[in-house]
Amino acid sequence: MTASLLVGQFLSGLTTSMFLFLIASGLSLVFGVMRVLNFAHGSFYMIGAYLAWQVVTWLHPVGEAFWPAALAAGLGVAVLGAVVERLLLRHLYGLDELYQLLFTYALVLILGDAAKYLWGTGQLSVHRPPVLDGGFQLVGNTVPYYNLFIIAVGPAIAITVGLVLSRTAAGRMLRAASADREMLDAMGANVGLIYTGMFAVSSFLAGLAGALITPMESIVPGMDVQVIVQAFIVVVIGGLGSFWGTFWGAMIYGQVLSFGILILPEFSLFSVFALMAVVLIVRPWGLFGRPIR
Amino acid sequence: MRLRHLLAATAAALLLPVAALAKGPIKIGFPIPLSGPTAVYGVPILKGAELAVADINAHGGVLGRKLKLLPRDSKANPAEAVRLARELIVKNGVQFLAGTLTSAEAPAVSTIAKENHVVFVAPSAKTYELTDPQNFHPYIFRTASNTTIEGQAGAIIVAKWKNVHTVATIAPDYAYGHDAIAAFVAELHKLRPDIKIVDQEWPKLGQANFTPFITAQMAKHPDAVYCDEFAGDFISFVKQAAPLGYFKAIHDRLADGGEAGSIDVTRTLGKAYPLGIWTDAYDPVLWDGPNQPPADKAFDAKVAKALKIKYGSSWAIQGYVTIQAIAQGIRKAGTTNDTKVAKAMSGMTYTTPLGPRTFSAVNHDANAGEYWGKMVRTPKFPYAVISDPTYYNPEPAGH
Repeated sequence: MTASLLVGQFLSGLTTSMFLFLIASGLSLVFGVMRVLNFAHGSFYMIGAYLAWQVVTWLHPVGEAFWPAALAAGLGVAVLGAVVERLLLRHLYGLDELYQLLFTYALVLILGDAAKYLWGTGQLSVHRPPVLDGGFQLVGNTVPYYNLFIIAVGPAIAITVGLVLSRTAAGRMLRAASADREMLDAMGANVGLIYTGMFAVSSFLAGLAGALITPMESIVPGMDVQVIVQAFIVVVIGGLGSFWGTFWGAMIYGQVLSFGILILPEFSLFSVFALMAVVLIVRPWGLFGRPIR
Repeated sequence: MRLRHLLAATAAALLLPVAALAKGPIKIGFPIPLSGPTAVYGVPILKGAELAVADINAHGGVLGRKLKLLPRDSKANPAEAVRLARELIVKNGVQFLAGTLTSAEAPAVSTIAKENHVVFVAPSAKTYELTDPQNFHPYIFRTASNTTIEGQAGAIIVAKWKNVHTVATIAPDYAYGHDAIAAFVAELHKLRPDIKIVDQEWPKLGQANFTPFITAQMAKHPDAVYCDEFAGDFISFVKQAAPLGYFKAIHDRLADGGEAGSIDVTRTLGKAYPLGIWTDAYDPVLWDGPNQPPADKAFDAKVAKALKIKYGSSWAIQGYVTIQAIAQGIRKAGTTNDTKVAKAMSGMTYTTPLGPRTFSAVNHDANAGEYWGKMVRTPKFPYAVISDPTYYNPEPAGH
């Protein structure tokens, strides 16, 4: 194995990791703060991809229309998420977790059919923004600028969210909400608003991830279910509800997948599932999670 | 007088079911994915089948009876396709089955056809196992191409390329991909024993992240690649491979047997289509050359109108010829009795908009090759097109 090969494969893994982190971060935040396992997170991601395609088509099929489209997709899905939380999910907080799971699963089916109705069953594609066309050479590998952009966006979001959680008043509220919701409520904080905001932020991240994937992957029905499985693996490896756990979970997932392919090309996904199995046996609460009392 | 009336009424009542059956439509059950990722092809295939039914009925139907299509959403799930096939036979009383999309669904439905003695025609599933000696029965027919034809066509094309000493493959990790690659490798070894296979990648079907597979393959520096990615997966593959310099590294020497020359794919990729690669389509729709049969031109115009998409779809033809084959089989047999129709269809030559095709008398596979060529851009068409589409049908039916 040459250095060129190792670097190339490492960068592939890193691109995979950062995309998965973008998707899984919202899933992890909502579970950490609200204790809701949101199956429909992948559906929000899919809606984000379709919205980005729609806005790009409206504005201009080529050119830098991609950037406002990505932002619009994130914001559009954030609004959708807020509406879902306010009108529907809110009624299920006191109930058994099974009801929330059933509800978000129903949402997967509803949003899947809605996307099929609005955008049809055909495959769609969005071009790379021209400013990130091309790439540069690194030890014999071509690194596309767009991949580099994704590799930068992941840590940027991680650091931003990390800072908000640890340094701001809103972050304190969120941590308090995750620790003891009733107490926070009794102290006069508007927990309802915190939850809606949290769900909207998580939806924004899903929608943004969906939009940012479009220059690399086709938009097809079923992309929602495909991604949610991977996002769950990342969250489980990192530890349910641990934000930084999700970041490192994604990092590990990407590299294990990438080098797994190199070593055992005929068992491409085996390495990832094997990793999850090992983590679940050794540390059922995940690498960075805490055992549930 | 009264008695005679009664007798007449009784006779009429006794005859009624027979008469009604003779005058009622001939029902064809059509389970096919209409939701999920594979609906991309399920929807146009069904549309093609509907057009065939409309055309045949407009010309007086078959044996004086109309055809009636009963479409169902199989969700590309073999268990669901089997359930629907059973229900269509038992509850809806269909006399014939057609449809299914994937190489997982078709063999499953084939067992139901065998059990119930119902003719089943597969328009799209390519795995050779569908009609191999272990699974063959008198009622199974295939209008689709098969993995043997596809892999061999790919090998013939790759074998002609100059300065190719090493070849890599990439294909989806299920029956279709493995069967087609096996056929490709076997044929290539025969044609060019000097060429070495240096890498084989197997991404999962629908797994949109191709980047690690692409970089792993590039690290082996193949001179050329044979690929069986199709539909949305092919699009994701291209969008990730092109910026990584993949096509440049292999000098565009990639052959793809997954119908990547379909108008459905070229339209979606637009200017991002990797020019210079070789690929195929059942019906190129945009023909860069004079060889499009006039009947196909007329057919493609009808498809575009019915689907309400400019240029329509390369897949509708498969639904159309499937219904045509059944109708011609019934006409030849002179009855809707499945056993007699199956006998009539075995070895039968049927007309299609792309010319005559023949079901093998041995395994009931049609001698259906595909149109191959190099992908180019010409001023005449808005999308990449197959340059001078050439019909490749290397294997005489009966493998």
